[in-house]
Amino acid sequence: MIVNKIGVIGCSGEECLGGTISRLVVRKMLEELRPGMTTSLCLPLFIAGDGGEREFAEKYPTISIDGCSKCCAKRAIEKYSNAVAGSIDISEIIGEDKALEKPLSTRNLTAEHLEFVKQTAEKTCEIYDGISS
Amino acid sequence: MSKIKVIPCSGIGKVLGLLARESVLMVTQEKCPNESETLCLAHVVTGDDEVVAKIKGQPCITMDGCPKYCAKKSVEAAGGEVDHSYKVPDFMKPHRGEEHGTGTYLTADGWKFAEELSDILAKTVIEMQEEVR
Repeated sequence: MIVNKIGVIGCSGEECLGGTISRLVVRKMLEELRPGMTTSLCLPLFIAGDGGEREFAEKYPTISIDGCSKCCAKRAIEKYSNAVAGSIDISEIIGEDKALEKPLSTRNLTAEHLEFVKQTAEKTCEIYDGISS
Repeated sequence: MSKIKVIPCSGIGKVLGLLARESVLMVTQEKCPNESETLCLAHVVTGDDEVVAKIKGQPCITMDGCPKYCAKKSVEAAGGEVDHSYKVPDFMKPHRGEEHGTGTYLTADGWKFAEELSDILAKTVIEMQEEVR
């Protein structure tokens, strides 16, 4: 497996707060924390895409970031492509009740939500660095 | 009658996915909360029996961020009836030259555009409900 790039794939779930957090963590990894080496893919492209997404996840390690314990991103990647190298279930970090709160528009983000993003991103970096080192 | 399912792609790479996501949240949470609801597209992608039971044969509207139509294709693959399929770029013409933001955040122009998209979705939801009555 090639490790000069790592795919970070969030569920972006539309039914709960955890989905919004997952999306923001992926963006933070891409833009701030591990730019350059991080790639992301839209999860539904595994069904709708031309196959490039499945091939990417076969060649490169991926980290799934899921908003709830259904772990849809992890299961979809593994169903259509390859085992993930690492995975995060946000409900284990911020608590299940919080993770399952209503989905949030980015215009309603509070300091508490941003702290959840920070905590989850830190955990993602730990996994990321373990894979790339 | 069951609520109309309104499902965005929530694409992570560009602002178009965020515009789709935010416009759908506006409809399902603010403009038509009694007539519409959304589903996690990531859950739809897994093809779980639980999500197939929720969506199979149900009237759906999809809002995609690009011509790959991930939301539409994934909903159809799970058995949903896509009565109206929209994509954000189709509504861009009057907004040429505007900066709408990134996959992380929307600018003031981006929020105005998302409002416009949500109006189109809300009108479609109401029309679909009236057709059934």
